[in-house]
Amino acid sequence: MKISKKGKFQIGLLLLPGLIIFGIFTVYPIIKLFIMSFFEWDFGNIFGQHFIGFQNYKEVLNDKYFQVSFANTIVYTLVTVPGQMILGFLTAFLINQITRFKVGYRVLYYLPVITSWVIASLVFKYVFNTEGLLNYFLVNVIHIAPQNIRWLDTRWGGLTVAMFLGIWKGIGWNMVVFLAALQTVPADLYEAASIDGATALGRLFHVTLPSIKGTILFALVMLTIGGFNVFTSVKMITGGEPGHKTDVVLTWMYHKAFSTGAFGYSAALSFIITVVLAVLALIQFRMMQQKN
Amino acid sequence: MKKCKKVLAVLLTAATCLAALAGCSNSPVQTKNDSESQVTTNETKDDGADNTAAEDTSASAEKEITLNFWHHYSAQSAENDTLMNVLIPKFEEENPGIKVNAVSHEWADLHEKLLISAQSDTLPDVARLDSAWIPEFEKMGILTALDTEMSDYGDVAAGLLDSAMSTASVGGHSYGLALNTNSKILFYNVKALEDAGIAVPKTMDEFIAAVKTLSGANDNGQQVWGYNEPALAGWNLCPFIWSMGGAITNEEGTKASGYINSPETVQAIQTFADLYAQGCITGWNSGDIPMTDGFGTGRYMMLLEGPWKIAEMQGAYPDFEYAVTEIPAGKGGSISVLGGEDISMFNSANKDAAWKFMKFMTDPFAQEEMAKCGQIPVNKEALNSDTVKNASFAPFIDAIETAKSRPTVACWSEMDSELSVAVSAVMNGEKTAQEAMDELAGTFDEMLAK
Amino acid sequence: MKRKTITQIILHLFLVSALIIVVLPMVYMISTSLKPNGALYEYPPRFLPGLKEITLENYSYVLGQGKFYVNFLNSFFVAVCSVFLAALIASALGYVIARFSFPGRNFLFSFIVLTMIIPGLTLIIPQYQLAVKLNVINSLAGLIPFYTAWTIPYSTFMIKGFVENIPRELDEATYMDGGSVLTVFVKIIIPLAKPGIASVSIFNFLTAWEEFPWANTVINDNLKRTIPIAISGFFGQHQFTQWGYVFALSVFSLLPILIVFIFCQKFFVAGLTSGSVKG
Repeated sequence: MKISKKGKFQIGLLLLPGLIIFGIFTVYPIIKLFIMSFFEWDFGNIFGQHFIGFQNYKEVLNDKYFQVSFANTIVYTLVTVPGQMILGFLTAFLINQITRFKVGYRVLYYLPVITSWVIASLVFKYVFNTEGLLNYFLVNVIHIAPQNIRWLDTRWGGLTVAMFLGIWKGIGWNMVVFLAALQTVPADLYEAASIDGATALGRLFHVTLPSIKGTILFALVMLTIGGFNVFTSVKMITGGEPGHKTDVVLTWMYHKAFSTGAFGYSAALSFIITVVLAVLALIQFRMMQQKN
Repeated sequence: MKKCKKVLAVLLTAATCLAALAGCSNSPVQTKNDSESQVTTNETKDDGADNTAAEDTSASAEKEITLNFWHHYSAQSAENDTLMNVLIPKFEEENPGIKVNAVSHEWADLHEKLLISAQSDTLPDVARLDSAWIPEFEKMGILTALDTEMSDYGDVAAGLLDSAMSTASVGGHSYGLALNTNSKILFYNVKALEDAGIAVPKTMDEFIAAVKTLSGANDNGQQVWGYNEPALAGWNLCPFIWSMGGAITNEEGTKASGYINSPETVQAIQTFADLYAQGCITGWNSGDIPMTDGFGTGRYMMLLEGPWKIAEMQGAYPDFEYAVTEIPAGKGGSISVLGGEDISMFNSANKDAAWKFMKFMTDPFAQEEMAKCGQIPVNKEALNSDTVKNASFAPFIDAIETAKSRPTVACWSEMDSELSVAVSAVMNGEKTAQEAMDELAGTFDEMLAK
Repeated sequence: MKRKTITQIILHLFLVSALIIVVLPMVYMISTSLKPNGALYEYPPRFLPGLKEITLENYSYVLGQGKFYVNFLNSFFVAVCSVFLAALIASALGYVIARFSFPGRNFLFSFIVLTMIIPGLTLIIPQYQLAVKLNVINSLAGLIPFYTAWTIPYSTFMIKGFVENIPRELDEATYMDGGSVLTVFVKIIIPLAKPGIASVSIFNFLTAWEEFPWANTVINDNLKRTIPIAISGFFGQHQFTQWGYVFALSVFSLLPILIVFIFCQKFFVAGLTSGSVKG
């Protein structure tokens, strides 16, 4: 089909607002961030920024606070991604088997997803308070803890609460995604497997999972990105306390940028995170393709 | 799809009705404010960051000045109520053409927001600053020197306490008016001390013994702590460090080695760590009971706090019986930490209006009103008023006489946060007090040399 | 037949018990918002308030004296504007990328997808400087274009998928009738991609409604704060926190989302699944 001059003009017209908004508010900041990461740029010298090469990158990588926050982010991602996927898949798997109230379950399990991060974080902070309901339950009702557990006051305690929250909030999303995928698995595949004498578990591993491989990959990539994006929950629940030991990369970046004014440092940090994430996404795609 | 649209429409209507309803249920004066605030919120598109002399968005053709005032009276406090409902309406009435837009931030947020705004040229006109921040902001060059710019500065300053005014002076110039002063003293649970049969602690040794005795479990089997400290910053630790004979830096504020890691300072920190390890003190952890609730419900037996705590306790736990006394004396005496806020204007401010507001906030009327909610005045006339005489400020004013201020150096905020990190490592048993303070001495020396 | 019924009952038992754990925090939030403020450090702590204790004082404070409806309206205004802009812009982009070839098309699309990987918050410093330059600090106008820009990549990606499912024959027929590129967009693409646009928009609404770090950085004035900032404003770190108010406001801010969700839940699902299942 040939496009007339007028058509070309109209195509341009349709593209224009998108390109302008995207260009100004996303592309320009990306470029600016990249440039900033090579400059000394902080509160002290607002006007005297000067080029310092890879100095910021060196500083970030040698910073013990960054290393801790990076390790925390990795742990968070390694725990919450499989956690959400497995629980979400199981829920979807069960819902897929039942004949009634499917929609009801779907709606209720999805509630945590639509609860905002700020609110969910506050609820968790309240429940996991040293004097909170959960500790009372563990110590005085079912007696499995000898004394109140200091959930929010230690590195792993604080991260555990954040990870509980991450998983709790993510189950619904995974459930919906996997439920849709399960419904696309052709019924005759199951029948064929049954005739071959496959057990329920065998069907799960040899029929169901291979058939929804695409969805698993999709969820894996999206959730890994989500894991690196964790910010609000950690900021609200522990605020990085004690002594920045529960910081994740983004809360540490935000602290460096807006509490100490180290903009160059934070820009370099942001770029490192982006590169790590891009590489991870690429590896995940590759791995899935090889298994094909 | 249709259903969805209907729901959206219903929601929209509901939101609008709600706004109207809430607006009507308030008193007439507030209703006026409400409708105005809505105008501002809906038409902010052009308003932007023009803080200096933003045109009022109301229809009036006259040019009104909006004065932006940032502070850290907490949003739900009696101070904030007084500010919003008594002081600002009075100021606006006396000064037609000036509107005050007061914004409440949390203490740490305010510091952060000011730094960011300085970077982006969006500072407010006037701010209530922790006096410990003045040197830092002066160094950034964002504060206005009042003594050189305001012709009647001398008269205004003469009406305020000299000791309080000195907190705003850097290098011979004055960068703010003192707004209120304070210090911390010991609050204790009267009944708990009686039940334990111990006298009110007068010395550090007695205090430490009392903290240990008062800790344990209550009748419900819940843990109780002899002492609460809500954070581990200089504001919290200095009274102990000083009273036990230690120091943060030398007098000139040029050197920390030999002071922050002196045997006395190390001992103060170690004492804290030991008490924490024994479960006798707590409060700075994220999961701990907040200070006021813990004190009012008998979980924390003692605290060091400022005059505002009296109003707070009156509001939240009116039946709770407590008393106050001076800080227990150690080797260095009974030395509290000098607090207090200054009101300053920034270079970008609308200076005439800002100066008028600053004078208003430090005049006897405003100072007396604030005294009613626990802010100790610095205006000499207000200090002699009946309100202040009837308030229970006496022990605090005594403490102020001997209290010391935190190091007045530009890098104090940075030092303060390093101090918290270092001490929290000691509390968690990762380092001994000696190790942590030796390390910190090096860091401080570097910062001070910059 | 009997065995099947038993299996069903067991499945339901599993699902219901897991569900109780999932909704427990929400129930606790609601129950706390109905307790008088003084009862929050009670001993022993209780999951539900006593019947006689139930009070609406937290709600009346939040809605009346606290003036939080202003924050509510701010959030609503920002969310509606960003959603509308994003829907318009992303459908135009999605349509053009799906239907026409032009120089740089593949590059543009890959770049859009790539930006979905970048954690949004990493751009906060240059975006903040940009907001300063545009003079939109401390203004709702400082939120809308940024939220729009953030949601464009995902929205474009999804809408492009929907457009590709619309038969090209419909376009051709319109061109035969003398229609232009714009006519196709208005008469064919928008009406037929509506479910897709709707589902994307619901997500964008949620994003704008609950966004925290950016609004917290840009907005100063109490009367310009959005709901999440207002909620977090209750916290002075070691002051006493009025949890009753916090949760009353939280419940209140969840209501519109909940209502939209319940009535439009099939769009939520459509929005999620069309992207995932194809892959």
